[in-house]
Amino acid sequence: MDNINVLIIEDTPEQSEALAKVLLENNYNTVGIATNFKDALKLFYENTIDIIIIDVFLDGKPDGITFAESINIIPNSSKPFVFLTSSQDRQIFERAKLTKPFSFLMKPFNELEILYAIEMAVEKFYAQINVFMSEEQDTVVSNDYLFIKKKNSLKKVAINDILYIEVEERYCNIITEKEKFVIQISLTKISNLLDKNKFVKTHRNTIVNTDKIEEIILADNLIILKGDHKINLSDTYKDFLKKMNILS
Amino acid sequence: MRKLHFLFFLILLIFPLFIFSQVNPPLITFSDCIKKKADKFPKEVNFNKAQFFYLKKNWDSTLVYSMKQLSSSNNTELADYCHYFRGYSFRELKLLKEARSELNLVSKKFIFYNLVNYKFGAISLELKEFDKAISYFNKIEKLPIVKNGDYKLSNIYENLGTSYLHLEKYDIAEDYLFKSTSLKIKENDTLSIISSYLNLANLFYVQYKDKQAIPYFEKAYSLSKKVNDFNKKREASLNMAVVEENRGNLKKALIYRKELEQWKDSLHNQNKIWAVADFEKKFAVAQKQKQIKVLKVENKLKNTQRNGLFFSAIGLLLILTAGVYLYGQKVKNAKIILLQKNKLDELNATKDQLFSIVSHDLRSSVNALKTSNSKLSATLETKNYNELNQLIIQNSTIANGAYSLLDNLLHWAMLQTKQLYFHKESIHLYSIVQQIEYNYKPLLLDKTLTFENSVSKNIFIFADLDSLKIVLRNLLDNAIKFSNENGKISFYTRETISDFCELVIEDNGIGMNENTIKELLADSPLLAKKNNSEIIGTGLGLQLCKQMIRKNGGTLAIESELNKGTKMILTFHKTTNNG
Repeated sequence: MDNINVLIIEDTPEQSEALAKVLLENNYNTVGIATNFKDALKLFYENTIDIIIIDVFLDGKPDGITFAESINIIPNSSKPFVFLTSSQDRQIFERAKLTKPFSFLMKPFNELEILYAIEMAVEKFYAQINVFMSEEQDTVVSNDYLFIKKKNSLKKVAINDILYIEVEERYCNIITEKEKFVIQISLTKISNLLDKNKFVKTHRNTIVNTDKIEEIILADNLIILKGDHKINLSDTYKDFLKKMNILS
Repeated sequence: MRKLHFLFFLILLIFPLFIFSQVNPPLITFSDCIKKKADKFPKEVNFNKAQFFYLKKNWDSTLVYSMKQLSSSNNTELADYCHYFRGYSFRELKLLKEARSELNLVSKKFIFYNLVNYKFGAISLELKEFDKAISYFNKIEKLPIVKNGDYKLSNIYENLGTSYLHLEKYDIAEDYLFKSTSLKIKENDTLSIISSYLNLANLFYVQYKDKQAIPYFEKAYSLSKKVNDFNKKREASLNMAVVEENRGNLKKALIYRKELEQWKDSLHNQNKIWAVADFEKKFAVAQKQKQIKVLKVENKLKNTQRNGLFFSAIGLLLILTAGVYLYGQKVKNAKIILLQKNKLDELNATKDQLFSIVSHDLRSSVNALKTSNSKLSATLETKNYNELNQLIIQNSTIANGAYSLLDNLLHWAMLQTKQLYFHKESIHLYSIVQQIEYNYKPLLLDKTLTFENSVSKNIFIFADLDSLKIVLRNLLDNAIKFSNENGKISFYTRETISDFCELVIEDNGIGMNENTIKELLADSPLLAKKNNSEIIGTGLGLQLCKQMIRKNGGTLAIESELNKGTKMILTFHKTTNNG
């Protein structure tokens, strides 16, 4: 599980520092603090960014919105973002609203509010709302990562690192090469959200990352994954083998 | 010459107005005949009119209608009559040449051709063509004469005599004149007799047969005394005077002259009287005409006056109507304006009140901050760190209060001017309550209040986040403000059946009475008056809450008991599908 990388775009040092402090306390990783539009773009493309916090007004100009607009144009490069603003001016909102998905936070804000806003932004961006706050689920699934709520903050797990997922009632055990942890999401939901060509069901409560399969022992109904994890293969789910290109 | 002059004069008198005779003439007078013709041809309207006017001696009309008859009708039988009418009329109008040419158009077969000849004779005589006249008269001389007819034999004889006299054929003239005189004596027409005597006298006188002439003059003179005709009297006198003058008997001549003058005067007088009468008549007519004119003018004037009055009345009516209408409009407008003015005054008063309260609050806040700051610096000098911390906490409390007031004010203004951005979304109520509470932790701690958030973690409401925060902030602020030390504030939800979710904010503070609740919930722009010095605020917060809740489609209810606590119950829409 990795920390979330945050890019802060804010021209007032006191505010950006306070923000960075809050983020740090909550295990977020501040990648950089940009004070203008140009720096922001540079930092955005040089680093792996998960979330951007944008002040609408940079030096009195609504460059924050301009930034959101420009990253929105390029497909697949956009990331979840939160607008910070001290003004409830309708015109600004009308413009900002067009950069969907749109979430904002009014200044002044407290610790809880910024954390909430970040979570909301992630939910909205990946179109899986009411996840982090509910009692049934704590994970948002994107193409590359699982965003998991741990206490007050978010964590991410690269999907490519997952070996297999084991479901126990309302919980899922995520097993990667390095660690093993529990998330709260239903099996149907997660199997719907994951790439079906990559993750296949091998058992009633097991989903396997096919990239991580080392060996399949049909005689024993066993799948051996990287790191010597042994998984049972039930007869009902053997069909996926036909789709695979088997060398040997 | 003097005598010829007399003769001519006499001849004119001889022409009678209705006189006739015949070739082989019908034994009937011309006037009876034309009446019969008119009865015979009742359809010849013009002829009827012509004969009617002929008998009436209205010559102009006779001319007009006879001409019409001639041009419109081909009745040859009546044509001769018409030509005769025209000839006769022309002669009467002294248009002798026209008369003669018109009479020439009469055919020779005309049964009254003797009349035509008679007329020719008369015309010739007037034109002094005596030979022609004699020949015309001779043609009809021997023809039988109708009694009381259109002319008399004596007239013919007299005319013939006169003609011969002018031709100086005195013998023949004498013969005819004697015949004429003797006929006239038989007829016993005094005036004619006088003329005849005078003619005879002149006849002799011209021949210087004074002895024969004078007795006729005298006879004429004596007869003239018996008649009333001044002209005849004058002639007789004049002739006598001339005779006496010629005889050298000037005395007698003078007497006759005087008589003549008398007759002349009489005639003159008569003429004068007639003239006066005529003038009077004319004058009267003129007067009448004038009166008529005046009346006409008066009428005209009246008409114009009436029209003027009528139009001005209509105009006035229109003006009146327009005036009434405009007045009505004005009154209506004034009413509306008055209403608006009252409303505006009320609103303005509210605004002013708000201003004064807010500025008062701010003033006291800032003042407190000022005094606190001076205390702070004083404490800093004494390095009493314990007290320093306390003062800082106090300061931040004051600053927080002022800030929330200003925040409310800002939102209020934005709401009033409709500038507030409003966007409903799904909101996790529990998290929001937590976030709100976070800011009030120091205050809660300060009053040692217990805070409990028992909002269900599964509830998502559909509302605008910022306005919801404002509402919750204000309500929590109020709850803290009205709580006693060591009190308890709790937020919890009550699930209702429908799509709504109830959020209750409960405290066990001082509470309030029914009236205050009513006042707070009353839908008036007026703010609650500041009647409890320290704790009761502007009322702005709650007003703002009410409006924000309404805007979010929610409701607000208050349950409270004095000294036991208050429940603020809010309802919001739930987000319909969870996820």
